[in-house]
Formats: sequence, C-alpha cells, structure tokens
Amino acid sequence: MIEVESLYFKYPLSNDYVLKDINLKIGLGEVVGIMGGNGSGKTTLIKHFNGLLKPTKGTVKIFGKDTREESVAYFSKKVGLVFQNPGHQIFSDTVWNEIAFALKNFGFEEEIINKRVKWALEFFNLTQYKDTSPLLLSGGEKKRLCLASVLAWNPDFIILDEPTVGQDFLQKEKLIEIIKMLITQNKTVIVVSHDVEFIWLLQPRLILISNGVIVKDGDCKSVFKDNAILEKCGLTKPQLVELYEELYPLIEQMPVDIVEAHSMLLKLLRGSK
Amino acid sequence: MFWLAEGLVYRRQDSIIHSLDPRVKLIISFSLFILSLFSSTIFEFTILLFAIFLLGALSKVLRRMTKTITFSLTFVIMIFVINLLVGYDLIFSIIISLRFIAIISSSSIFFLTSSPDELDLVMRSLHLPYDLIFAFVTAVRFVPVILLDAVQIIDSQRSRGLEIEKGSIFKRIRNYIPVLIPLIVQSIIRSEELAEAMESRAYGFSKKRTSYYTLHFKRRDYLILCLHFMLVVLFILLVYFFHL
Ligand SMILES: Nc1ncnc2c1ncn2[C@@H]1O[C@H](COP(=O)(O)OP(=O)(O)OP(=O)(O)O)[C@@H](O)[C@H]1O
Ligand SMILES: [Mg+2]
Repeated sequence: MIEVESLYFKYPLSNDYVLKDINLKIGLGEVVGIMGGNGSGKTTLIKHFNGLLKPTKGTVKIFGKDTREESVAYFSKKVGLVFQNPGHQIFSDTVWNEIAFALKNFGFEEEIINKRVKWALEFFNLTQYKDTSPLLLSGGEKKRLCLASVLAWNPDFIILDEPTVGQDFLQKEKLIEIIKMLITQNKTVIVVSHDVEFIWLLQPRLILISNGVIVKDGDCKSVFKDNAILEKCGLTKPQLVELYEELYPLIEQMPVDIVEAHSMLLKLLRGSK
Repeated sequence: MFWLAEGLVYRRQDSIIHSLDPRVKLIISFSLFILSLFSSTIFEFTILLFAIFLLGALSKVLRRMTKTITFSLTFVIMIFVINLLVGYDLIFSIIISLRFIAIISSSSIFFLTSSPDELDLVMRSLHLPYDLIFAFVTAVRFVPVILLDAVQIIDSQRSRGLEIEKGSIFKRIRNYIPVLIPLIVQSIIRSEELAEAMESRAYGFSKKRTSYYTLHFKRRDYLILCLHFMLVVLFILLVYFFHL
C-alpha cells in the first residue's frame, strides 16, 4: 500500500515546487498508468515511492511506514523501481552477476539467490547470455535485463519508468503479458509512459500529471473521454478510442484490443447486411 | 550530490560582472589567483578574500561560491591537519589553508560568470590551437552532464539495495564500483557519439574557423580594468613596500 498525502516537493536550490499537493492511494493488485508531458514531474513522483526523494511537505507512506523513517534499501525491497536508462545501472562482468547484485544487497541466502537468478534468466529469455558481459547485449535486451534484475527479488510494487522506449512490437506485447501476469499474483505495477497505445492495452487506472499537479485520476476509459484534460496534458487518443468515437453509436463500447475491435466490427457488418 | 554541480557550473544570470568582456573577467580572476599564490600573511588574505567575496556578491554568485568552498572544506581541513602534523606552527597552517580557499574562490569567479562559449572565445583570442580549445571547453561543458549522470546512477543502484555509506572504509570504497563503472561507460559512449556527431557536421573541415560572436572591449570594460589594476597596485604597494 502506497499512501501519499498532500505531498509537495522542490529540489534543493530551486525555488519552484515540482510536485504540488499530490494525494494518492495505491493498493495491491492494481495496474496504474502515469502520464503527462515532459518535465511534468512523473519521474520525481515515483522516486518518492521508495524513499529516494523525501517530501518537502506532506508524507509518503509505504505499508504504513513513513519514507523518512527507514532507508531506501528497506523500502526498495518492497518497491522495485526500474529506471529508463539501463546504462545507469549495468555494471557487472556477467549477466548472472548483474541480476544477483540486488539479491546480495538485500542479504538473501546463496541458495535462494541461485534459484531466483535462474528463474529470472529463464523468464526473460536471457539464459543463453548468463556468462556474457551485459554491456554486449542489445538495447532492448539490456532493458529486459534491468526488469529481470528487479523482478528477481520479488517486490510487491513494480514501478517502470518508460519501459517501452526502444522496444520492438514483440517486446511490448511480451511486457504487457508480464504485467498482466504480475497482477494475477496480486502485485501492483505502476507504469510511467508516453505511449498511449501501450497504456490502452493495459487498461490501467490512469493518473494524469500536468505541471506537478494531478489533474485526473480514474479509469482509463473515462480519462480518454475527457477531451479538455487530454488537450491540457498534450495527449492524443489511442487509435481504438478514435475508432470508437467515429463509429459511435454503431458500437456502444470502447474496444480494449484489436481482437475485440475485430469482433465488434464483424458483428456490425453482419448486422447491417 | 546535485548541490555540488551548483557550485561549479555556469548559470545564465544578469550582473555587472557577467556582462563584462570575458577577457576582463579572466584577467581579474587570474590576477587574484596569482596574488593568492604570493600572499603570505593573514592580513593579505583578509583583504584578498574580502575582494573576492565582494566580486562574488557583485556578480550574484556568492551563494554558489560558498557551496564550492564548503565542498572543498574537506581538503582544507586535510591540508590544515597535515601541516600541523608535519610540524609547522598554527599560523602557517592557517595561512596555507586560507591560500587554498583563496585560490579556489578566485578561479571560480571566472568559471561562475563566464559561459563555455565565452571561455571558447577567450582561449581563441590567446591563439591556442583549436583542437586543444575544443577539448578543454567540452570538458568544462560536460561537467554538469556527468554530474547529472552520477545522480541518476546513484539513484538506480540505491533502488537495488546498494547502501553506499555503510560498512568499513574498504567496503565503502568498494561500494562505489557499481556507481563508477556505469559512469565511465556512459562517458565513453557519450564521447564516441559526440565525435561522430561532430564529424557529421564537418568538424575540422576548414582550416580557418569563423565565429558568430567576436569580442570587443567596451568603455565599461576599460573602466573596470583600470580600476582593477589600480587596486592591485595599491595592494602590492601596501603589502610589499610599506609592509603593512
Ligand atoms: N535533480 C534535479 N534538480 C533540479 N531540478 C530537477 C531535477 N530533476 C528534475 N528536475 C526538474 O523537475 C521537473 C520535473 O522533472 P521530471 O524528471 O520529474 O519530469 P518527467 O515528468 O519525468 O519528464 P519526462 O517525461 O521528460 O521524463 C523538471 O522541470 C526538471 O527540470
Ligand atoms: Mg521522466
């Protein structure tokens, strides 16, 4: 459970608040999307969720504990953050050690470390690289490795900062599958992204941020109906939502993926024959 | 970590000093630097540091200058202690420490008030080879970028349970490996990209580079320069001839 109460934040030495009066509650088993323009404060917000940044005013509580009271390592064990740029974390000599790094930091037993690393390698199709240098992997593979290295310690919250950047279509589909699987295990996944199509496929609870203020927090279908807010945040609509709006009232529901859109259209065509 | 960059890096600002010709700023900064090297009494350093901080206040960078000094305080204390341990007396140790502070703060005047572009122009007016100028200016320009990288890397590794400030002194040094390796790798990648981008834009193609901006002394520059020299001469007279 992440609870944010009237959080204000400004970076030391700067005069303006980057986050203003943020109030949030995120429980277990949720998928949450966070969207907003460049510099709106998304990365700053998620850095509060494991205590990397502490509020200037207000509180952030993780499972009831104020982030000011414990170390970043303590909260990270429950809240796994995957940053955008793999270049900022990869340092080990082998892929295996890269994944084992965090597990060792958290003080897991040797046996468990071996088991977890093996699982992560297999799950992300990285087993064949286990003894090669992670620096030699392709950009997409590096990103997968970073996700693997976080999932390996099995945190309750998984926060992904722009996970789809530089990923091909196949990897994006896989990522969606992984996220959906994590949700079935009662984990919470928070995705920061500019990719509306990707977000739409996840059908998350969607939080829109503009200039450090939450301007909308709700079910993603209702958010994408709100034209004024979308314009304010500089967001376009997913193509399936546009399709729905073009055809409304011929189809009554927003299709959540291509398969659903396909069957809706088929029904429509058959009906009009 | 980020506050560190604040003390070192140029920020666009408006002040009398900022708007001077960069050559004037260099001369002022450099002459104060030289005076710091040759001063040897507490009296001299009082005057020098007063002048330096006055300049800092005039150019509205005082707060960041003190940041730089706070940062270098570790070295100052080290210098002070080592001098005492080696057997120099208290006054001498204080003077050496003051000299260090004066050197740091006097040279920071130039870097805090002149943009990398101005640095480039100044070095060109000294007729240095352009490759050298380019390398130097780029290094200065990349300081904030690399510091930002460092912040991101530390955040990433802390999110993976790394506790930098924990353990014995050897453990702590080892804790920096997960930070330093990505930092070095990122810097190498960036420099390679930069080289390719430069070459794609015909760097080094023409022997004679032209410049969009050229430097011209204005009346204000002459005035300040004269004033500066008068004060320096006064200082030297006071100290070396009247032994004040
Ligand atoms: N370390 C820092 N020090 C000072 N200001 C910062 C720092 N990091 C970010 N900022 C500022 O805070 C604001 C929010 O930045 P943030 O990185 O949270 O935006 P973002 O929503 O993640 O943007 P993007 O979509 O580009 O990733 C920006 O105006 C940025 O300039
Ligand atoms: Mg961001």
